[in-house]
Amino acid sequence: MFRAALPALRSALPSARPSAFAAAARFQQPIAVRTYAAAAGLSRSDIESRVMEVMKTFEKVDGGKLSASATFTSDLGLDSLDAVEVVMAIEEEFGIEIPDAEADEITTVKQAIDYVEKTPEGGLSPSS
Amino acid sequence: MTTIPSRLAKLATSSTSIEQARRRSIDAYRAWYRSAPEIVALYALNISPSMIRIKIRQEFEKNRAVTDLSIIDMLLHKNQQEYQETMNCWKQEPHILHWFKQYDDPPPPQTFLDKFYAGRDDPKQIAAF
Repeated sequence: MFRAALPALRSALPSARPSAFAAAARFQQPIAVRTYAAAAGLSRSDIESRVMEVMKTFEKVDGGKLSASATFTSDLGLDSLDAVEVVMAIEEEFGIEIPDAEADEITTVKQAIDYVEKTPEGGLSPSS
Repeated sequence: MTTIPSRLAKLATSSTSIEQARRRSIDAYRAWYRSAPEIVALYALNISPSMIRIKIRQEFEKNRAVTDLSIIDMLLHKNQQEYQETMNCWKQEPHILHWFKQYDDPPPPQTFLDKFYAGRDDPKQIAAF
């Protein structure tokens, strides 16, 4: 229930509204239109940089081998419990909750980035 | 009645293979890891959730070398009992702090004099009546 109180990810995104207003003012009479919808989702590079940040602050990770295609167990030298901790750290970073079955599937950094990319934006889980 | 007795209860099952037992233990670890902030809030502890997580990790590491499947099943069942009792708030603060007891108690006496001062008699000195 606390996840809903996290600042929505959309606040970090560049807003698309100013350019829309500017375009409207240039071509037609200015109509006061308010849009509360934000631009769609985080970009992949944003997600990737944040995931890398999480991985770097995790002290058990072997920093030299850290890359987008690194597997947790063989490349980064983590064991299965460490892998659970890393996935949990990613969950906390993005404010999402990954169900057990899918968390078991995530064994490389790239899979984690892919998973975050396809979760619905804002990460409100059904239980909160 | 605040919690029903079967909340978070799981039937004791025997794992079909070592791989399934491994999956169960990893899922158990994930459940505990996720619950650390809730434990701190529920029992109003002075300990941070990260300390709870370290303790959880230590307890799991203690049983890392077990290979016998029936022992693993028994440990998983006891783990689920512990998890249920903790998350349903059936325990109290001392029961949670018992996990950390080893680090709070003073070290046990080693030399004869320390044991004497602590009130423990040397079995060799007790006369056999």
